[in-house]
Amino acid sequence: MDNSPETLNNDLADILQPSETLQSTQDWQRISPIAIMYFLAKFVVGFLSNIVVFLPALYLSYDNVIAHPHLWLPVGLGIITLIGLSTFLSFYFFQYRLYQDHIEIRSGVISKTYVNLPFAKIQNVKLEQPIYYRPFGFTCLQLDTAGSAKQEAKVVALKVEFAEQLKKEILAQHKIATSAALDDKTDATHASTSDEQNNEVILNTRSISDLIIHGLTNNRIWIFLGGLAPFFDDFGRYIVEFFNGLGIDLEKFLTFADKPMWQIGLYAVTLTFIILLPFTLFSVVGSIITFYNYTLSKVGDRYIRRSGLLTKYEVIMRLSRLQMVVRQQDWLDVILKRINLKFEQSNSTSNQYQTGAENSRIIVPSINPSECLALIDDVYPENKMMSVNYQRISKRFLLRNLGYILTPIFVLLATSVVIGDKANLLLAIIPSYLLFSLLIYMRWLRWGYTKDDNFVYIRKGYFGVDYYCFPIYKTQQVQFKQSWFQKRHQLSSVRIVLAAGPQDIPFIKQALAYRLLDTTIYQVESSRKSWM
Amino acid sequence: MHGQANFSNTAMPSQDLPHLEQLDFEKLSPRYAQSNRYIDLFSTAIIMSILFIIQLQSFMPIPTEASDVLMFIIWATALIGLFSTVYTVIADKRKFYALREQDLNYKSGVIFCKTVSQPMLRIQHVELKRGPIDRKIGLAKLQVFSAGGSMHTFEIPGLPLETAESIRQFILDHKDVNHHG
Repeated sequence: MDNSPETLNNDLADILQPSETLQSTQDWQRISPIAIMYFLAKFVVGFLSNIVVFLPALYLSYDNVIAHPHLWLPVGLGIITLIGLSTFLSFYFFQYRLYQDHIEIRSGVISKTYVNLPFAKIQNVKLEQPIYYRPFGFTCLQLDTAGSAKQEAKVVALKVEFAEQLKKEILAQHKIATSAALDDKTDATHASTSDEQNNEVILNTRSISDLIIHGLTNNRIWIFLGGLAPFFDDFGRYIVEFFNGLGIDLEKFLTFADKPMWQIGLYAVTLTFIILLPFTLFSVVGSIITFYNYTLSKVGDRYIRRSGLLTKYEVIMRLSRLQMVVRQQDWLDVILKRINLKFEQSNSTSNQYQTGAENSRIIVPSINPSECLALIDDVYPENKMMSVNYQRISKRFLLRNLGYILTPIFVLLATSVVIGDKANLLLAIIPSYLLFSLLIYMRWLRWGYTKDDNFVYIRKGYFGVDYYCFPIYKTQQVQFKQSWFQKRHQLSSVRIVLAAGPQDIPFIKQALAYRLLDTTIYQVESSRKSWM
Repeated sequence: MHGQANFSNTAMPSQDLPHLEQLDFEKLSPRYAQSNRYIDLFSTAIIMSILFIIQLQSFMPIPTEASDVLMFIIWATALIGLFSTVYTVIADKRKFYALREQDLNYKSGVIFCKTVSQPMLRIQHVELKRGPIDRKIGLAKLQVFSAGGSMHTFEIPGLPLETAESIRQFILDHKDVNHHG
C-alpha cells in the first residue's frame, strides 16, 4: 500500500492529482487509465470461467486452425483487437462524480448503466486491491447498498489514499444519518467518531499453518469434481495411456480376480489418496490465496477484515449490520478442534453464488475454541451460545425420514433388485441405506434450538456441528408450518427469516413453536429497533 | 372486509402477547377462487383442443405411433387438468389473511399448512400486482418485500382492489409513523 505512485504519474497528473479531494470530484470524471488492466482482467476471468463452454469448439477447430493459418491468423488478431478496443471503451465510458453526498457512476459501452447512490444508503464499503494495482497504488472501491434493491457500485480504479479518504467520508455520512434516525445510542456514536482513527484493535490474525489447516478441513474438491464430471472418461483414458507409455499395463495390474483381499484394499486406499492429494493441495492453495496475511480488527463499532495474497481485500462491517453469528465445524474440524466463525450480513446484496462471495464476507478461518469464544463475546457480549442447553427436535423427525421416506424406498429398491435377479446390486444398496440412516440419525442428534431474552440459538449439522445465534429483533419474517401428520401429533416446524437467510427448526411441539414465534414477533414490533 | 374493521387490534401489554394461534382470519375475495377455477378449466381445454387439432388435421398427417402417444398425452392432460382444478378448489378455500396493528399474516396450504407473519416494521416496500384477469374482475395481489430476500416475499393474492389499496396505505402510514417516532 505504501508503494509510491510516482512511477506513472506524468501522464495521469491531470486526471488524478495527489491532492485530489472530495471537492475536486464534483464534476464527471474518468478514472485512471490503469483501469484498462482491470477491465482486461475481468474479461479474461470471465472468459476462463466460461471456458468449459468454449472447450469443445476450441477442440474441434484446433486442427482446422493449424491447417489454415492464413485464414485464422487475421481472425485471431481481429479478436484480440476487439478485446483491446472493448476494454478501452469500458474504461472510456466509465465515469463517476461525487455530488451532494451522492456518488454517481456512469458505465457501459453498449448498454449504459447509471447508478446514483446516496452515501447514507451505503451499507458496506469494500476495498479490493488486485495484484496488478499494487505497484501503482490503486484500489477498487466497492459500495454495497442495504435492502432488496439490487444496486451496487464499484469505482474500479482509485488512488489508495483517495479511496481511504472517500471511505471515511461515506462512513461518517452514514453515521450522521443513523444517529439522527435513532434516538438511542446517539451519544455513544458521537463519542466514538472523534477518536476512532487511532484506536484500531487487532482482534485476530491467522498464520500460514492455520490457513493450511483451513485448506485441509474445508476441502471443496467436490465442487471441482462435479464440474469435471463430463471429462472423467477422457481422463481415465489418458491415465491408462500414460501408464501404458511407461510400460505398466494398468488394466492387468488392476484385475482383482487373482489378488488377495488386502492387496485390493491397499490399492483402493492408495488410489483414493493419490486422487485426493492434488485436490487437497488445491484447497490449501486456495485457502492461502484468500486468507493470506489475515487480520480481523476493530475500530469503534466497525469490524475490518483484511486478507489476500494476490488480490487484497478489505471488508468493513458495522456491528449493527451483523445479522447472525455462525460457528461452523466440519467433521475434520471437530477432530482438530478448529472452528470457522462467520459474521453474516445481509444476503440480498452480495449474492452467495457469486464467485467472490467468500471474499466479501467476514469469516475467521480455523480458530481455536477459546479464540472463537472471545470473538463471539466481543460482538455479542450477552450471548450464551456455548453454555445454553439445546433442546433436541422431536424423535418423529427420525420416524418420518427413516420410517416413511428412506425405508420404503430401500425396500422397494431391494425387492425390485432381487426380483430382477441382480442381487449383487444389494452390495451397493445396503451400505448406502445404512449410510443415509446414519446421516439422518446424526442430523436428528445435532438439531437443537433454544432461546433466551435476546437471542435465538440453533445447533445443526451431521458429523460436524454448526451453531447459529442471532438477536431476536433482527427477524424479518416468521413462518409457522404444519403438515397433516404433524398436526395429529401436535408438532410443527418453524422458519425464522433473517436478512442473512432463513433458519429452520423442524419438528418441535406446536405450543413451543407458537410461543417462540409470538415472542419473536413481539420483540421485533415492540423494540422497534432497526435491523441494520 | 372494509375499512377500519380490519385494523381494530388490541394494544400490546407485555404480559400477554398477542397470539398467532388465535388470529382472526379473513377470507379472500370469492371471485379469486372462481377465476382460478375458470383459468384451470380453460387452459386445460385450450391445450387439449390444440392437441386434438394436431391429431385430426390432415395437412401434415402424423405417423400412427406418434398418434398413439399424442392420444395418451391428451388424456394425461385431461387428468392433470381435472386434478389441478380439484386441488385449486380445495386450496383456494384454505387461503386466509389477517391484519394486525403490527403485522400481516397469511395462511395457506392443503397438506402442508403454512402461516407467514410479516411485521410491518421490517417491510421495505409494497407492490400491488394486477394481471389482465385481476384487472378484469377487480382484484389485486399484494406483495410485500423485506430484507429476507426475494424467496421470502410476503404475498396475499385475491384481494378486492379497494381492500388491497387500503392495506397498502395502512402499511405506508405505519412506516411513516415509525420513521418520525
